[in-house]
Amino acid sequence: MTSERIRQLEAGGIDVAQALERVMGNEALLERLLGKFLDAPQYHALCAALERGDPEQAAAAAHTMKGMCGNLSMTELFRLFTMQVETLRGGDLVAGREMMAQITPAYERATAAIRGRAEDGGA
Amino acid sequence: MSNEERGVLLIVDDDAINRAVLEEIFAADYAIEEAENGAAGLEKILAEPDRLCAVLLDVVMPAMDGLEVLRRLRREDLLRRIPVFLITAEAGDQVLQEAYSLGVMDVISKPVVPYLVRRRVRSVIELFQARRQLSRTVESQRERLLRQAEEIIALNQGMVETLATAIEFRSEESGDHVRRIHDITKSLLSETALGKDLAPEEIEEIALASILHDVGKIAVPDAILNKPGRLTAEEFEVMKTHTVQGAALLDRIPQLHRHRSYRYAVDIARHHHERWDGRGYPDGLKGDEISLWAQVVSLADVYDALSCKRVYKDAFPRERVLEMIRNGECGVFNPELLRCFFEIEEELSGLYQKEAGLV
Repeated sequence: MTSERIRQLEAGGIDVAQALERVMGNEALLERLLGKFLDAPQYHALCAALERGDPEQAAAAAHTMKGMCGNLSMTELFRLFTMQVETLRGGDLVAGREMMAQITPAYERATAAIRGRAEDGGA
Repeated sequence: MSNEERGVLLIVDDDAINRAVLEEIFAADYAIEEAENGAAGLEKILAEPDRLCAVLLDVVMPAMDGLEVLRRLRREDLLRRIPVFLITAEAGDQVLQEAYSLGVMDVISKPVVPYLVRRRVRSVIELFQARRQLSRTVESQRERLLRQAEEIIALNQGMVETLATAIEFRSEESGDHVRRIHDITKSLLSETALGKDLAPEEIEEIALASILHDVGKIAVPDAILNKPGRLTAEEFEVMKTHTVQGAALLDRIPQLHRHRSYRYAVDIARHHHERWDGRGYPDGLKGDEISLWAQVVSLADVYDALSCKRVYKDAFPRERVLEMIRNGECGVFNPELLRCFFEIEEELSGLYQKEAGLV
């Protein structure tokens, strides 16, 4: 992993050193897992459930997002999703929806960084 | 040791990233298998539980969550054989409490810290494997001890028979006499009402003791023991001492005192020439004063002596043997003992026909 790539990912909110440690220093594996994060359907499932007004499905999707962000050391996203899961499990759909104002830009910054367009993400 | 020998580590998690992270952490140490939900994981565990060295189990999963998997494993009593770790992002008090009370080994929070999870899982797996190994060792040692005990018992019986046979040899008889006394005593006690108050082990102990009934003959001089004709009164007095001498001899061997046959052997050696009417020797015991086993061996001894050739006499035909016993020509016996004896005598007579080659 080049220092350029590392800077890029860190700009996307990823603690690269910690994420690498979690995969035993396996850089190729980390890239593969970051790719899985892009493919994961749960972010869109979360948005759809919030729009539908289904707190249970929304909480399940947010839970999965939280797990992935934790594993990939997306520190800020992990904190946000952890709060959102708790809020939605408590049944507060409105507050859960409002949190998307913070979550969406952080998510977009991360995905852009992974795709290699961190500068477009506006770090 | 190859990974396969160390066992299979099963990762049950619906999140592919989680599975990949855990696999990367443990792939160097164990063979890894994965399941993407609780139902699939449970199926894998139940199919072949002993293949697994540990299970890493997520809590929130579709198609059966982690706690339900734990409950099923608990029902199958598998949680004591396979260490199961919960890997969870939300360890609420209630979940933790139920998981621990079901018997989960440990709860590890997500996202995992590799060196910590590795250490915790690995040390528990080593503990379980050491315990399995130990219990296998204990089991095989137990089997070996049992086999040795059986060998010792067989050796004991062999030595007792050897001793008794050596004594019989002096009176120019073969070892068959003591073996027949053993068999007749055992048959009378186990196949008739005589032994109704005795456990099968006690009957075995008495039968073994019966072999030593004439052990005191070792103290009787050859000239008297092997005299072809009638004994004089003095000679007969010496011959009679084999009862008391036998009991004294057994008493002098301290190791024998702990043997379960010992008390029977001493009693039988001393009292197998007592008579129901009180006119036997050495103590002149009468009726029920004579123990059941001494009475049984006494009759077995008479029956065998009459049925075989001895230095002082030829073998009598079977009809004559039965007549002499019934008429009390060779001693007076307990009527109940005689009744039981005649009940199975037909079968006992087989012991002699075989030897004479008549069958």
